[in-house]
Amino acid sequence: MEHSFYIITWPDIFVSLVLVAFCIGLIKWWRVGLESSILIGTVRTFVQLSVMGYVLTWFFAQDHWLFMVGLIAVMILIASFEGYRRQEVKVPGYFLIVMFSMAITVVLILGTIMGFILDVKPWYSPYAMIPIAGMIIGNGLNSLSLTTNRLMSELHHREEEIELFLSLGAPPKAAVEESMKESVKAALIPNINALMMVGLVQIPGVMTGQILAGIDPLIAVKYQIMIMYMWITTSTLATVLTQLLVIRKFFTPHQQLRREMLRISD
Amino acid sequence: MIDKQPPLFRLENVSLKISGKLLLENISLDISQGDFMLITGPSGSGKTTLLRMLNGLHSPTSGNVHYNGKPILNENLAQTRQEIGMVFQNPAVFMGSVRENLLLRQRWDASFLPSEKDTANALQNVDLAGDMLNADARSLSGGEKQRLALARVLLNNPKALLLDEPTANLDEALAAQILERISKLKHDLGLTVVLVSHQSSAYMEGISRNIQLDKGNIT
Ligand SMILES: Nc1ncnc2c1ncn2[C@@H]1O[C@H](COP(=O)(O)OP(=O)(O)O)[C@@H](O)[C@H]1O
Ligand SMILES: [Mg+2]
Repeated sequence: MEHSFYIITWPDIFVSLVLVAFCIGLIKWWRVGLESSILIGTVRTFVQLSVMGYVLTWFFAQDHWLFMVGLIAVMILIASFEGYRRQEVKVPGYFLIVMFSMAITVVLILGTIMGFILDVKPWYSPYAMIPIAGMIIGNGLNSLSLTTNRLMSELHHREEEIELFLSLGAPPKAAVEESMKESVKAALIPNINALMMVGLVQIPGVMTGQILAGIDPLIAVKYQIMIMYMWITTSTLATVLTQLLVIRKFFTPHQQLRREMLRISD
Repeated sequence: MIDKQPPLFRLENVSLKISGKLLLENISLDISQGDFMLITGPSGSGKTTLLRMLNGLHSPTSGNVHYNGKPILNENLAQTRQEIGMVFQNPAVFMGSVRENLLLRQRWDASFLPSEKDTANALQNVDLAGDMLNADARSLSGGEKQRLALARVLLNNPKALLLDEPTANLDEALAAQILERISKLKHDLGLTVVLVSHQSSAYMEGISRNIQLDKGNIT
């Protein structure tokens, strides 16, 4: 069977704008008042993705391992700022915690995929490294933000329970066990659900793109499977590392809860 | 002359400042073995904070807290805290049975294996029926939860009891019953008891000392 490979031209993109125009008309008629947001979003999508296309083209043309390592370091740095910004309760040193957790996660998972799964040559090949690193960092950031936010609210609500444990001689690790469990769950359940549901209802985004680009579904499936496994691993690793480092900030060396740090969130 | 044994608790010029707020100011206090100390004072005066200090849940910003002649925050902190049974004002009771709540320590301490008899005794000591062990702990009344929390620390064979307003949420009859029970336990087990209450009046016989707190100071 021959694969077809559909090429989209810029004029084709303008045709797709007809759909958006129709949707804006519909929203206006319905008086929801979102038409300007949709318009801005439409323009931003166009600009951002076009810029990204040119930037990626330029990145892909770079052929030096140092460049790729530097690029990934910058991606991690930006993600760490974003992770820090998303955090409502300020955990001291959180920026460094996120950066460290991300760096370990990226090195381990990206390394495994590039070195052992895709066997990329050269090992820093930008075509593989940039999209995969992007997925790892994006997913890791999401999970660790979810887990930290949940952990903060668990600690806040369980303050009395935690101190009861400590007062009975429990080590901090035992005192926060329930809080940790709940916050790991909060981060991993969306990923676990994705593992359960993938392929039952819709074709996953990456596969859709590959199939449209003419790739054999059976090849696309293998990519998707690898990506799903990469997601759950990334989430787990980033979540656990972040938790271990965050939780230590909430206790003194004398097994006391730093309650004043939870107060700030009131 | 007999050797003078150190007081069970000794606070030397203890101050505690958290987030710029002075919660305790220059408190010096000895609590001897066998004392029954009542700490009173208005709400927000630092009574709970002082009790927490006696369980090592706060480190003083300045000054020292000694337990049995040694700094309270020593390398045996876990054991020290078990010897100093703290019962919080809102007794934390968890999902699960009364038994699971009593034996909470087993969650981190596999060597904590009180016999059935000890467990039953602990319940009896606080006037809870022995057949309650398998009941759902959350279905207990306020007074029963308070007593469950007391039984939980008694299972650690404490030397001291720190009680934070143990009768605050109870009606008069129940309060009297609990206080009587505490007096008896103190006597039977030779405990040192520190009891916090915001109402200064009408406390039981057997109180050996009474201090008053106001804005973090002993008055
Ligand atoms: N961790 C904390 N951080 C800041 N302020 C606190 C903290 N714990 C207690 N306080 C404040 O310290 C004061 C004394 O509290 P507390 O010891 O609970 O008083 P009491 O038990 O006598 O009512 C109160 O004003 C309370 O708001
Ligand atoms: Mg209080």
